[in-house]
Amino acid sequence: MTRRSSICTFISRSKLWLVTLIVFHLSLLSASAQGFLKLQQDSIPFFRGFAVSADLVGLAQMQLGDYGQYEAALRLNLHDQYFPIVELGVGKANHVDDEVTHITYKTSAPYFRVGVDVNIAKNKHSNNRIYVGVRYAYTSYKVDVNRSPFEDPVWKNTTYYDVSDVACSQHWAEVLFGIDAQLVGPLHLGWSVRYRNRLSNDDGIIGKTWYVPGYGIQDTSNLGATFNVSIDI
Amino acid sequence: MRRLFLLLILSVVLVACSSIECPIENTVAVNYSVMKYQNGEEVADTLNDTLWVWSRRADGDDTLLYNRGVNVRSFSLPASYQGPQDTLIFLTVDTLQNYDVDTVWISKEDIPHFESVDCAVRYFHKITDVRSTHEAIDTIIINNSSVTYDSSVKHLYIHFKK
Repeated sequence: MTRRSSICTFISRSKLWLVTLIVFHLSLLSASAQGFLKLQQDSIPFFRGFAVSADLVGLAQMQLGDYGQYEAALRLNLHDQYFPIVELGVGKANHVDDEVTHITYKTSAPYFRVGVDVNIAKNKHSNNRIYVGVRYAYTSYKVDVNRSPFEDPVWKNTTYYDVSDVACSQHWAEVLFGIDAQLVGPLHLGWSVRYRNRLSNDDGIIGKTWYVPGYGIQDTSNLGATFNVSIDI
Repeated sequence: MRRLFLLLILSVVLVACSSIECPIENTVAVNYSVMKYQNGEEVADTLNDTLWVWSRRADGDDTLLYNRGVNVRSFSLPASYQGPQDTLIFLTVDTLQNYDVDTVWISKEDIPHFESVDCAVRYFHKITDVRSTHEAIDTIIINNSSVTYDSSVKHLYIHFKK
């Protein structure tokens, strides 16, 4: 179909643009990045502890809008340089009676991401970190979509649109850039910007889904963000 | 530090960007092709008569779906959003004002389709059976049963007697 090809072209162009932007981001930091993947040789022990964190962006989305996620993470600190991480969350959407289309969309499901962050700051053992990272993520969720009864424009009979428990799933990957700064004691604040890309997805029998737990809204920007509060343990 | 701050501002602006992408081609219709048999092969044909198509609404009134088609080779008709069968009335009139009326029954399954909360809901269809009277219509053959947004698909091949 014509529509498909034009949208694909649009998406591929926007992805190319975003990848270029991320590369530009990283190149800006290249001056401060030293020994990107090489383990720094010093007297600091290899295992430096854990950190637990919570994402405030998803929480704010949940409180202010009709979708969002509660998300927490556990991160290992390996020599202040490598940070294997597991992120767990519950994503929810409760979009009720859209003012234009009168569609109600509901979903609620857990998701997880696993990956690693790498500290690219010049001084690895500083309390402030600049990092890049990768994630693999997955969610399995069910959606309910319905609309208040409406009239068929041609046949004029009352039409009902109500689908429930449509089983869907999605695998996706993320590349991120973030900053983490010590606030006081073990308390850190940080943010990350993430470029997300769907690896595979099953949107069930209804064609597409709207909000995917942990991923966000489909067919909009591939960029996401987190703002984390974390505590070193 | 200033560089990082600019980076943060740029990133937040980009993350805030979103767009609504409803399909541009969003009409769900059954596409008919006028066909004939020639040397044992099914080939495209042209209807010499003038064609009108009606259907009966739920309120009992008739609704005109296709008006005064001349030299028709193909045409598209809407399908009801919900309902196991659509009943269509085909009227063909020749140059001498002789007319024939046929009734066509299209049985279908309705499949709810969803794009986004920003886009109107639609129904796709799977045509399960087609039958008709045979005043002017000879046969109607299901070529592709899947009725979606794709307007390039020819769903039904219709053969007229003349």
